[in-house]
Amino acid sequence: MSTLTILAGGALALFAVGLYGLLITRNMIKVVVALQILVKAALLALVVAGKASDQINLGQSLAMTVIVADTVVAVIGLALAVQVKRVLGTMDLTELSKLRG
Amino acid sequence: MDEMSAFTWMITLPLLASPVVYLAGRISRRRNWDVGMISHWLAFWALAATWIPFALAASDLDKNGPDTFQVGQIALRLDDIGLLLAGLSLGLGTLVVLYSGPYISPDHGREKYHSLLVAMVGVMMGLGCAHDLFNLWVWFEAMAISSFLLVAFYHEQAASLEAGVKYVVQSAVGSALVLMGIALVLAQTGTLDLDKIRLAADDSNMLLAAGALFVIGFGVKTAMVPMHTWLPDAHSQAPSGISAMLSGVVIEAGLIALLRSLSALAGVTPTWGELLMAFGVLNMTVGNLMALRQTQVKRLLAYSSLSHVGYMLLGLGIALYAQDASGAQGSFFHMLNHGLMKGLAFLAAGAFLYALHVASGDHSPLLISDLSGAAKSYPMMALGLSLAVLSLGGLPPFAGFMSKWQIFAAGFETHNGWIQALVIFAALNSVLSLAYYAPLVNTLYRQSASPLVQHGHPLSIWICIPVMILTASVIAVGIWPGLFNWLSDPAGSALLAAFGLGG
Amino acid sequence: MDWLIILTIGIPWLGAGLIWLLEERQSRLQHTLAVVFALAAGVAALAMLPSTTEQVELRIKIGSVFGDFTFVPDGLGVFLAVVATVVGSLAVIFSVDYMHGEAQLGRYYSLVLLFIGAMAGLVLADSLLLLFIFWEITALCSYSLISFYNDDPKAVEGGIKALIITQLGGIGLLVGALVIYAYQGDYQISRFLNEPEVLPTNMLSVMAFGCLIAAAAKSAQVPFHTWLPGAMEAPSPISALIHAATMVNAGVYLLARFYPAFEEVDGWTTAVISVGLLSAFLAALMALFATDLKRALAYSTISQLGYMVYAVGTGAIFASQFHLLSHAVFKALLFLSAGAVIHSVGTRDMRQMGGLGKQMPFMRAVFIVGALALAGLPFFNGFWSKELILEDGLHEGPVWAYVGMLAGAGITALYTFRMVWLVFYGERRGSGHIHEAGRLMKLSTGLLAAGTLTTWLLIGVFGEMLENTLIYHHLHVESAPTLLEEIITAPATLLALSVVAAGLLGWWFRAPLAGIAASFKPVGQAATSDFGFEWINRRVTDWTNAGANALRTTQTGSLNWNVFGIIGGLIVVLVILALGA
Repeated sequence: MSTLTILAGGALALFAVGLYGLLITRNMIKVVVALQILVKAALLALVVAGKASDQINLGQSLAMTVIVADTVVAVIGLALAVQVKRVLGTMDLTELSKLRG
Repeated sequence: MDEMSAFTWMITLPLLASPVVYLAGRISRRRNWDVGMISHWLAFWALAATWIPFALAASDLDKNGPDTFQVGQIALRLDDIGLLLAGLSLGLGTLVVLYSGPYISPDHGREKYHSLLVAMVGVMMGLGCAHDLFNLWVWFEAMAISSFLLVAFYHEQAASLEAGVKYVVQSAVGSALVLMGIALVLAQTGTLDLDKIRLAADDSNMLLAAGALFVIGFGVKTAMVPMHTWLPDAHSQAPSGISAMLSGVVIEAGLIALLRSLSALAGVTPTWGELLMAFGVLNMTVGNLMALRQTQVKRLLAYSSLSHVGYMLLGLGIALYAQDASGAQGSFFHMLNHGLMKGLAFLAAGAFLYALHVASGDHSPLLISDLSGAAKSYPMMALGLSLAVLSLGGLPPFAGFMSKWQIFAAGFETHNGWIQALVIFAALNSVLSLAYYAPLVNTLYRQSASPLVQHGHPLSIWICIPVMILTASVIAVGIWPGLFNWLSDPAGSALLAAFGLGG
Repeated sequence: MDWLIILTIGIPWLGAGLIWLLEERQSRLQHTLAVVFALAAGVAALAMLPSTTEQVELRIKIGSVFGDFTFVPDGLGVFLAVVATVVGSLAVIFSVDYMHGEAQLGRYYSLVLLFIGAMAGLVLADSLLLLFIFWEITALCSYSLISFYNDDPKAVEGGIKALIITQLGGIGLLVGALVIYAYQGDYQISRFLNEPEVLPTNMLSVMAFGCLIAAAAKSAQVPFHTWLPGAMEAPSPISALIHAATMVNAGVYLLARFYPAFEEVDGWTTAVISVGLLSAFLAALMALFATDLKRALAYSTISQLGYMVYAVGTGAIFASQFHLLSHAVFKALLFLSAGAVIHSVGTRDMRQMGGLGKQMPFMRAVFIVGALALAGLPFFNGFWSKELILEDGLHEGPVWAYVGMLAGAGITALYTFRMVWLVFYGERRGSGHIHEAGRLMKLSTGLLAAGTLTTWLLIGVFGEMLENTLIYHHLHVESAPTLLEEIITAPATLLALSVVAAGLLGWWFRAPLAGIAASFKPVGQAATSDFGFEWINRRVTDWTNAGANALRTTQTGSLNWNVFGIIGGLIVVLVILALGA
């Protein structure tokens, strides 16, 4: 098994972990963490893809850009978490499922 | 680096204006300068000025064809689809900025709101010009980021926060899926340029999976069922101007991103058309049934957006399936009309929300029953909201009928029994939608005013003007359906060309 | 000519716009403007009469899939435009008294004028898309005017029901227009009638039955008729104008217009005859057992429209359109005079009326004129046209249908006399002060009564006009004296008259016949419950609502569930693509 295949498998595994986390967690912080795992999987996949198509530089520069964008999203997510805690007094997602129907 | 051309100015102007708007508002507030709504007016003039490069770019495109602008590896190209999205976002954006002046009170951080709104308009114009898969993702992500804070703008309200959290998380999942898709495409074809991918693409499973990831990933933002669940919350909780932008432009921008990415994978499978049609039917049905029993005005309108995305998807699917541009032209026409109609509906509903709730510091949702007898005190808004929903329901002589008709006609032109059946199903859906639009109109024109209406606040002229403009245009397009052909027809043909289908 | 078309549609629309802009307190001006604009439209329509033609007279280029918007002022179209604008003017004049002192007059008159213009456009249009657009605009006006009293939940329900049912049927017409476009490349009706073969046979029958569905929904025919009784919540002039004299005729007009193209379609004429027969017969029974004056008239409208639809089915285009004219006049008269009575008594329940003839002699006189025409007594206009339909039916149509229609004529006479008796004769059963109607009410009903007595004289002119300008129908209409003589001497007429007389006698001797009447009780119960059609309506509504409520539980509000939606969608799409590729 080549390194690339292993890395690709790793990306897929990370991706599955991230999605699984989003499916089960009820904590706001854990949601942000799961999102991060999800995006890290995508980062890994981009680097692997760059390598696979013999354009490692391209893959890496894409990854750098994604990290920047992703950080902003993470910051916003965390800021919302702080605000949720402040307004609702809890991080529990069950308190955040009032809008239904 | 090429010389800056008109269309690059069109994108850069709002993006440059955004921080200026923020700083000006911030500084004037810090120093207690008595300049009132400086951020609002700066934002308005920035967008108003953007119309100049827009007009130049439009005439340039008409004369010389698509123009490319290269910065290193990144290429921006304004084609007819990009122009359509630019026109839609700039048009609605200008009106929304005008509207938001009195709507957003200073203590809520007016400068933040306007600066983000202006940035969002610029980013969406950029999104339309992206011609590279990763570049597309970057604009897409930037659009999402600029809208996150606007959705959760009332960050002291639990409901607003809930909507914001769902919006952020679901968007982020969607964009991660898109990234995975991009990685697959890169690994398989070794390029990210849309045209080069299309030429290099084969029918491998990797690319098929990438297509699915694009459909779902961008589909989250486009509010395709079952990825739509964030939309009713976000659209109903955001400030009304933002609801109008989200519904009128942002989900359409998602749809255009989806189409761009699929156009690169056109050769992978012939089923994209069928897939879009299937999603279209699903969206219509779910959207209409969900809206049927709503009691909150903005939530009802939000679900109606789902069904209208369904019409667009149906038309696009027909175009791809039949390899004929007319379905896509109908869909793009409907996209523009939906921007007008839903913009009008949300702005008018927002005006009521403002006059009846927000102006007295109350953030509870606007119920349909709150509007009882509102036509007497707010004749302009009541007329606007009524015409908007009747137009959304597809009644002539309003805009919505005309674009739905164009989609339906394209469906029948295929001479395919299944597609004709889908068109009839879509028409049935239109009738069903009247069952929730019509009571809204009846409520507005009752004679007994609800207590809220009796104590309603007066509306500023700046709230009324955009509503009047949109009302007039909904009627104008209904009477003269050719009004936007110069935008929607070339866009439809350009889409078919991008898919490599004759056009 | 072309500017007359623009004026006929444009004048009322301009008036609608102006009146909408007026303030609530300028009610005098609103009344005056409405009358002026309605009359002007009537004059414009009348001015078209001398120069009818089968040629396209006005073409507005729209382009792309919308084709050209074309108008053809042929005999049929102009005639119906005249009916719409003239009856419209009379209804507006009547409204000045009837709506005196009501709130939201601006909305009322604007919608009435918008309707008048749209109705004129509908019958003059030669582009099927344009026809459909006007068709929908009339539905929009009808809905808004039925629920004019928005505070009354029954009015709102009636309006929305009318809107939904006519729109549902309208899909048939939508399909028709799309089919024409898909195979012919434009929407021109005259081109299509000239050469219906451009459509493949199966598409032609899709279109034919689509138009039948649309017509049945618009003309309130079984099984789509349930909206019309509910529409009686509208102010009475609206019932007279939209729900008796004009809009409901649009369906019959559509069938008559397309008859030459559809008559060869398998089973189409039989279907049309059946729809007409069922509507004529069942609605007559419903009218017989109705207690609400306006509902009784509404059922009677359904029944009379059934006669016209039946006539189209038997190929008697001229007879159907001639009855349409008679019916428009006498039914508008009946609705307006009923409106005057209701305005005065304050209830629509006939059980609360009785003996009103003494206080309202004028209204009694005109109502009876209308009633005699409805019952088909010589020599009112309803007599001539109904006899013409029955005579043609006997010669051209199947016998079973003819027998049913004949029985319907008897029931019509019976319910008409019942209605007159319950309202104007006998002892007063309600209480409260009764006042005779206002002057303008008398003016408009008086004119309509004069019309009821005289419009049959137009039989020759009307026939000639249709014969000359409906070139695809190949009509052959006799000259007036021949026609009149034929009707009087035909055995069918004697047969029909004896049935009518039997109906009359049935009401006269109702006391001795009480025993037989009792045995009809189950029929009465079935008729008052609308023969189960109302039940079907309610079930469909309930199921849709239940479905919507069930679907709403899928929006749980939980973030985990929402993410699951995304993942589930991804898996489904992956599977579909894997299978489809």
